[in-house]
Amino acid sequence: MEMTTRLAVNGDLPQWAAIVACVLVLVSLAVLVGHELRRRERGGFAIVATGVLALLALLFAVLRPVRIAARESVVGAKVVVLTDTSRSMALPQEGKTPRYNVATRALSELAKKSKDARLLVLGFGDGAPRPIVAADDENENEKKASAPIAPRSDLTTALRSLAASADEHPQAVVVVSDGRLDDPGEDASKESLAALGKELKVPIHTIATTRDGPPDASVRRVSAAGAAVAHVPLPLRVEVGCSGGLSCDELTVTARELREDGPPALLATGLSHLKDGKGTVDLSVTLERAGARIIEIAITPPSGDTIPENDRRLITFLVARERVRVLHVAGRPTNDVRALRRWLKSDASVDVVAFFILRTQGDEPNARPDDLSLIPFPVDELFTEHLPSFDAVVLQDFDAPPYHLDRHLPQLARYVRSGGGLIMVGGQNSFVAGGYAGTPLAEVLPVELDDSPGATGADVAPFTPVWTEDGRTAPLLAPLRDVVSEELPQMPGANVLGDVRPGGLVLWSHPTRTTKSGAPMPVLAIGDQGDGRSIALGIDGAWLLEFSQLGARTSGRGYGALWDGLLGWLMRDPRFEPGQLDLEGPCVADEPARLRVRVPDSAKDAPITIELRRLDRQDVDPIKVEVPKREPASATTEVVLPPLPAGGYTARLKLGPGPTTRRDFACEAGGDEWADSRPDPERLRMLAAATGGTFRWATDDLALPLPKPAVVSAERHVVPLAPPWTWTLAAAVLLGAHWFARRRSGLS
Amino acid sequence: MRDPSLRRVARRLVPILPFALVIALLGVFMPRPARAFRDVGAFDPRALLAGGTTGPARASAPYRWSWELVQRTSAPARLKPTQVRADAPEVVEAPFLWWSGDAALTPLTPKEIAGLRRFFALGGVLLVDDAGVSDDGGPSAFGRTAREQIARVLPDTSPIPLGADHVLFKSYYLLRRAEGRVAGPRTLDAVIRGGQAQVIFSSHDLGGALARGATGAWEHPVVPGGDLQRERAIRLAVNIAMYVLCSNYKDDQVHAPFLMRRRAGALVP
Repeated sequence: MEMTTRLAVNGDLPQWAAIVACVLVLVSLAVLVGHELRRRERGGFAIVATGVLALLALLFAVLRPVRIAARESVVGAKVVVLTDTSRSMALPQEGKTPRYNVATRALSELAKKSKDARLLVLGFGDGAPRPIVAADDENENEKKASAPIAPRSDLTTALRSLAASADEHPQAVVVVSDGRLDDPGEDASKESLAALGKELKVPIHTIATTRDGPPDASVRRVSAAGAAVAHVPLPLRVEVGCSGGLSCDELTVTARELREDGPPALLATGLSHLKDGKGTVDLSVTLERAGARIIEIAITPPSGDTIPENDRRLITFLVARERVRVLHVAGRPTNDVRALRRWLKSDASVDVVAFFILRTQGDEPNARPDDLSLIPFPVDELFTEHLPSFDAVVLQDFDAPPYHLDRHLPQLARYVRSGGGLIMVGGQNSFVAGGYAGTPLAEVLPVELDDSPGATGADVAPFTPVWTEDGRTAPLLAPLRDVVSEELPQMPGANVLGDVRPGGLVLWSHPTRTTKSGAPMPVLAIGDQGDGRSIALGIDGAWLLEFSQLGARTSGRGYGALWDGLLGWLMRDPRFEPGQLDLEGPCVADEPARLRVRVPDSAKDAPITIELRRLDRQDVDPIKVEVPKREPASATTEVVLPPLPAGGYTARLKLGPGPTTRRDFACEAGGDEWADSRPDPERLRMLAAATGGTFRWATDDLALPLPKPAVVSAERHVVPLAPPWTWTLAAAVLLGAHWFARRRSGLS
Repeated sequence: MRDPSLRRVARRLVPILPFALVIALLGVFMPRPARAFRDVGAFDPRALLAGGTTGPARASAPYRWSWELVQRTSAPARLKPTQVRADAPEVVEAPFLWWSGDAALTPLTPKEIAGLRRFFALGGVLLVDDAGVSDDGGPSAFGRTAREQIARVLPDTSPIPLGADHVLFKSYYLLRRAEGRVAGPRTLDAVIRGGQAQVIFSSHDLGGALARGATGAWEHPVVPGGDLQRERAIRLAVNIAMYVLCSNYKDDQVHAPFLMRRRAGALVP
């Protein structure tokens, strides 16, 4: 940067004043010269000469000229180039290279053509824009961040971030994209597009990478009318499309739920008739289980479809539970049945369907059937047709064979494994004594049952259950412990239960009786069974938490607290989960996803693992991920999952030997960004037109009308040519001389 | 074995020995039932001792009530019913009390009132059975004073009549009216709390209809009389026990269509 010197008027003089002074002097000179030349008398030359000198001196007295010595440079206008980094840019460009490569080439061309401008290249996608790293950059991590992996293409947020930034504002913005933007959307008005430019007060130039989309049939959008609620039909509107010259008049659309216990379950199917390459179909699906559920919406693609990744969408629905539907089956009415019935009915969020066996074959009511209020026990109907509609089944002191439930036990076991809840409550007709040992239902109980001949069904010696260490720390028993602390009432006896199954947890045990392995006999045990959960409560005296001295002291609250925890845990109420798992952002296939793990302080030293299992592929081995020890001050730990192929997954958080906390999620290859593979250059053209910018194709000449560069001084010295009084003195002397010359000529 | 008669017996026994052995083995190896974990959770028509009463007015009635319940229904019941004082801590150890008498009660002591309030706070059910009711159904001194004392225990509520549409009249048998040793009024009265009939007043001497001596003879004739009336009284007792154990189970929607059809065609008054 060289030092340059130039003359200028004094800095304290406004520009307009200098101009006015100059104009006045020029006018005065013209009047003077014109007037004297017309007179043609003696002394005219002297008058003109002194007059000109006097006017110039007066002008200098006003302007007081200075000499400026400065180091200056020319700085190009700041231009922000926003490049689309959403996943749609990874789609092939006219069947060849990805759109992102076209964008990269366009950036190089733009840089060449805009040498006078300072280009800041940022990538936009989800949230604020981030710097783009050149392809030849050595930093692999930054290069990865610049790759087209963003799950959205949100230009509006990117522009707003620029406007809100404290950095130097750009003088122009250039957007490089395929036009398939999430925001502004397809139906954005001209006014809303113009508003984007107004925030920054700059024109937005646009460069479109893609003219035509590939031949593609896809599920473009799945929208649900309202939130998903268990057992309530959920209307889905599925938009499908064909583009890129692909011909399809109709597409078959299916909705299936991915389940851990077997192949996906077909929920609904429909036929969409396409007009102008797009169509919709309305489906109604009913999800029976609450929590995160993965629904696959798929089409049968026509031949010639070049992007199979968007032929199916995996949508995660967070299914809420409006009411818990419980099937309560009791083998005979007892105080324990009474207590449970009253508790279930007292909870407005529980919808109870109850069947109690009030009369057995051996009973003689001494009345005609019409005199009795008894109704047939609809065992077949309940355990086939209606079973999936229940969130939990409670079998209380109920024996299977006399009521032909034994033939439905395989179905009941499947119900549990597919996400249902089961509680078997003790009594003289439960567990071994109820004929469940060796049946499929026994396989889904958290404890083993002795199916050997002559197996003992119950131990009728009174005892007080003992809290196990796991029981003391189990969140589901925390409400009970808050009420009764360590104290439990004496029980009149217990069903004989075997060892806890792998993955189960014993919360109460028998003080003296042991299992075959020598462990204390479980009295209350819980366990995961496939997608569902089960509880074994081997006593029929839980009602004594209500009607006893302990019950009187605690106002009977212990019974409700116990069942609140048991049913809540069965329903995966977050309050009773041993830990919590959440997915951080969407999971994109073959990209690392992040899980946030929260574990209670009581389990901080327990070995923690996460097991990932495919929901749609039972033949794939589960992946185990170790959870790093969390920081002492932090309640959560972030776990980076390995890159996963597209599909549905269930992540199970395992704290020690007990049941797990699960979270289902889906990883999609294309996701929303690939759902509609067509480019949308028209939207870019409208954006440019609405903001005063210019639209170009990436293959055009990219010499954009960018703002001129600015001159910036790095060093500046200002020195007056003469002190102000000298200019004033000279003006006074010359004005005097001019007056003298005029007097000599006889002028006034 | 020289005795010919013994040999004959032995010869007859030989063919059935294998069957006997099989039955014995089955008995050994079949899963053993739990024998009700004793009968702690079973229905117990506990006699309430309060206000000067020293025992149930019909001493044999509680056993008979339990016996009828076990014979007629799947519900377990204590065949040796207990008694409990209102001021004893044990008053809160089961959900049912039966207060019967035929003489005027003395005012309940503060301890008795407190005990009964604890019992009701837990959701317990009390049957007040007027054993001294007149043949025309007029309440005895016991009936009148029992209502006064219950009003002291639960001052914020008052009894209302329970008609045949109440779940108590369909909890096991379909009944059209209340009856006991005396026909009495067609309804029962009850104090309803939290949607549940917590105090049931019977002016029918239900215990009188149930009471049966060691010889098997009924201890009290029914008025106006007839086996049918006694049978209906027993059925009411069974229904009350079922109401205690099952609460409002028969009010569930799933039962409604069945019960409406049967009500329409039932002959039992």
